[in-house]
Amino acid sequence: MAEVEPSRSSEVVSCRALTKRYGELAAVDGVTFALEPGTVAGFLGPNGAGKTTTLRLLLGLAEPTAGEALVFGRRYRELEQPIRRIGAVLESSDFHPASRGRDHLRALALAAGLPLGRVEEVLALVELTDAAKRRVRTYSLGMRQRLGLAAALLGDPELLVLDEPANGLDPAGVRWLRTFLQAFATQGRTVLVASHLLAEVAQTVDRVLIIDHGRLLASGRLDELTRDGRTLEDVYLALTAGEVS
Amino acid sequence: MTGQLRAELLKQRSTQTTFFLFLAMVGLVALASALHVLAPSPSSLASLKHQLQVFEVGTRVGMLFAGLVGAMAITAEIRYGTIRPTFLVTPRRGPVIAAKLAVGALAGIVFGLLAEGLMAGATTAALSVRGIDNQLAGGDYLQLLAGGTAAAALWAMIGLGVGALARNQVATLVGLCAWMLLVENLLLPFIPDAGRFTPGAAGLALAGSIADKLLTPAPAALMLALYAAAAAAGGWLATLRRDVA
Repeated sequence: MAEVEPSRSSEVVSCRALTKRYGELAAVDGVTFALEPGTVAGFLGPNGAGKTTTLRLLLGLAEPTAGEALVFGRRYRELEQPIRRIGAVLESSDFHPASRGRDHLRALALAAGLPLGRVEEVLALVELTDAAKRRVRTYSLGMRQRLGLAAALLGDPELLVLDEPANGLDPAGVRWLRTFLQAFATQGRTVLVASHLLAEVAQTVDRVLIIDHGRLLASGRLDELTRDGRTLEDVYLALTAGEVS
Repeated sequence: MTGQLRAELLKQRSTQTTFFLFLAMVGLVALASALHVLAPSPSSLASLKHQLQVFEVGTRVGMLFAGLVGAMAITAEIRYGTIRPTFLVTPRRGPVIAAKLAVGALAGIVFGLLAEGLMAGATTAALSVRGIDNQLAGGDYLQLLAGGTAAAALWAMIGLGVGALARNQVATLVGLCAWMLLVENLLLPFIPDAGRFTPGAAGLALAGSIADKLLTPAPAALMLALYAAAAAAGGWLATLRRDVA
């Protein structure tokens, strides 16, 4: 394996030879990539390719077997108040069904030492103020997605990490999310979004990472990957061998 | 740490779980008191020992429900996935467990005090209604309330530690109920040399039960505190080391 360049200080995300094994299975196998500030990166791959595991390693929810995953040059667990720099949504339903939307956010804000006024700001941002007093079990999937996003935005982060954020959103919601992410990146902030929705990704991202069987198959600018007139879907299916999983 | 405690208190208050457990406990105490005082013949309720056996049902119920509240505090987060945003905010995880132990113990105090208080009140009234001489002195009541409350607080920490180790909510709740209602009830009469050292029997002794074969209150308190410390330490270590799905 080639020598890996030392992490550059400007890199928002950097994974180097990142590996996670579960017994014989390498869920993530030597993944190396880095993201510069202001990037919207699409993280693509079939089900079970290793996308979510990579994100969990990056966010300190799981420990790598080998290699390292750094955010802002440090391991997530070593960051002081990580929620002020990184916002993440890994599942669309990480709520207690009996909790009210506002209370879910308040508990996180309290634990993070953020002012409770910030909860109202993010509720307004994702247009959930009117539903905030309802229990989450009454929310549609799209509302849950937006509540998750509100939680990720509590600390006004510089990096957003999202796993399938468009799931369950209606067309208006998808456009809202796309506009939001592009505006977010325009402010020099960074987005890493794992998704299956290639057409949506092609409209939103400027960088693409394609992973399958735990290995990173492609990493580069979207316009370079599709330079020869191929669509993102063509590139993706050629790399992942079009397997149905 | 104040923020963590407030976050955990809000979770306890906002999800209805604590309220429903509270209702179930009150109903059970009322039922147990009625059955144990109104059904038996007056002669079988004449001695202090027999009367204490009725009162100590409140101790059992208080300990069990405190254990359930403690177990819910961690297993509900794992079941509903809120453990992910919780650990994204506090990736070192230790403060989360510490706050859960503190708030769990507080909930245990409330549950224990209420269970003992309700049982003592209802049973005292029922004895009086049936014209049976109450053999308990003021000191007996005091030990029941103080000892039972302390036992419930420690049981909440046991429940939390067991829940953090087992992680599966249903298995943890069923396991705690089966332990308290089946295993302990069989061990003490049939294998008293082991049964007297169990956490439930220790709690009964701490609350002043003078049933045969029990420890005296001081070693019982030490025994129960050791169980709580072991469960808390086990749950703490497991939570810090294990990956989050």
